Amino acid sequence: MDILEEITEILTEILDIENHIITPETYLIRELEAESIDLLELAVAINSRFNIDVNDDEIFLRKLRDYITEAELQNKDILQYLAENLSFLSRKRLEEIIEDRKGGPTLKVKDLISYIGNRSRLSVYGSRFFIELCKPKAF
Amino acid sequence: MHRRVVITSIGVISSLGFTLEKIFNNLKDENTSFEGSFFDSELFVSPINSFDVKNFAGHFKDRRYLNRGAQFCVASAMEAVKKAGLDKQLLAKAGLFLGAGPNLDIGGEFPDVKAGEIDRKNLMALWMLKFLPNTAASVIAKLTGIHGENQTLTTACSASLQAIGEAFRKIRDGYIDLAFAGGGDSRLSKSSILAYKKAHALCNGTGKPEKAIRPFDRSRYGFVPGEGGAFFLLEDLQHAKKRGAVIYGEICGYGASIDGYSMTAPEPCGIWAESAVNSALREAGLASSDIDVVSSHGTGTLLNDTMEADLIDRVYGEKPPFIIALKSWIGHIAAACGAVELAICFTCLKYNYLPKIRNLDEPCHAGLNFVREEQSYPIRNILLENFGFGGQNSALIVRKYNRLR
Repeated sequence: MDILEEITEILTEILDIENHIITPETYLIRELEAESIDLLELAVAINSRFNIDVNDDEIFLRKLRDYITEAELQNKDILQYLAENLSFLSRKRLEEIIEDRKGGPTLKVKDLISYIGNRSRLSVYGSRFFIELCKPKAF
Repeated sequence: MHRRVVITSIGVISSLGFTLEKIFNNLKDENTSFEGSFFDSELFVSPINSFDVKNFAGHFKDRRYLNRGAQFCVASAMEAVKKAGLDKQLLAKAGLFLGAGPNLDIGGEFPDVKAGEIDRKNLMALWMLKFLPNTAASVIAKLTGIHGENQTLTTACSASLQAIGEAFRKIRDGYIDLAFAGGGDSRLSKSSILAYKKAHALCNGTGKPEKAIRPFDRSRYGFVPGEGGAFFLLEDLQHAKKRGAVIYGEICGYGASIDGYSMTAPEPCGIWAESAVNSALREAGLASSDIDVVSSHGTGTLLNDTMEADLIDRVYGEKPPFIIALKSWIGHIAAACGAVELAICFTCLKYNYLPKIRNLDEPCHAGLNFVREEQSYPIRNILLENFGFGGQNSALIVRKYNRLR
């Protein structure tokens, strides 16, 4: 089972949404209407299934707005500042997020996948998922 | 002048059926669900095996936080709300009063607990919600849009009858115009059964499961746990008339008390249980001779039934009412027994029918009018009794609706 399949299974269970098609592009909050307690449960489930320590603030991009404000106040390049603080996301994804942020919470399934991949790579226990992650992906 | 309070919707999930009609048919045909429990065939239960909360409430994510008892609560409340036909504004005004029990399924919730260590990686972040008593109320409100006054009562086996009694008084005294009241419970898990077995409260043996619970019989030896839920819409009579609601019956009196005697056993003389019964009669403005039927608590335990039979004898004296014991049909639904028994009482009112007390071969008490054979009877007033662990006592009077009263 690859990371997307695992995440789909977890989200289906937590949000009680059978037959909802979940893709890497699915928005968690905007589309699936995940609330804060759902994200709490999601963190526990990811922690347990992927055997990684999940930092809720990081994986759910909770500080995104703060980072952007900080960059603006300090006259720093927003993209560069985000890349430093959310290092598990690609530059391309960060550009997308900056573009998209006016439309509401930007968190997408693919962000969880990037986070899990990144943490698994850092973790000895996560090597199984690292191998999965190295398979070519469309995103 | 007190307002009159009527019942205008009933949602019930019982082992005898999910509608009054189905319940009536199953009473007639003596279709009960008694069986040996899944882990010990000598411990008996009365389950609702076909139950799935999704069939009543659809898909909703908070389902993960509902223990089985709370699922019965939510499902039966959804039924009552669906059948009530209230618009959004009325639902928002409605109160919500429910009786809930503790989640005793410790083994099921923490299958791998060792040395007090309950944490495990896949333990839900908010696992505690499955143990908090007001989770069901919170879910019902979220699903239905009920926003009025709310109470969750946890007074053991007296809880749901008290919830209905409290809602009745709030409406009668004019605090609110309408409220949903009831409860749901299930204590059939291995841990729950272990708890009641250790307390020596359960029937166990090698006999037939359907013969085990025998309220008021000389050879009674304990109760059989059941499960289910029921909710009612209670409404000020004028309010109900104005919107053209169907009226199932009227609630006219309620009483409650606490023994202050034992953690489990009833106070043997039934002094405080009797005071609950007398307050219900007083509130209803009825004499004991006006009661046609007592729906007894009738658990089939030695202590309860002796106390209760003596109590009925004292209160009604020369003109004994019919006594029914619905736990001989559905088992003991703990915190929800009052609500589900009330739903069956409405079945009796609707069909003018008195079900027999099952397995009552040799009454423990002479001179009382136990219903030994089913019969038709034009019931006017029923008094329900529920007595719980910890000495919780309650009584509620329902009567056939008479618009001329």
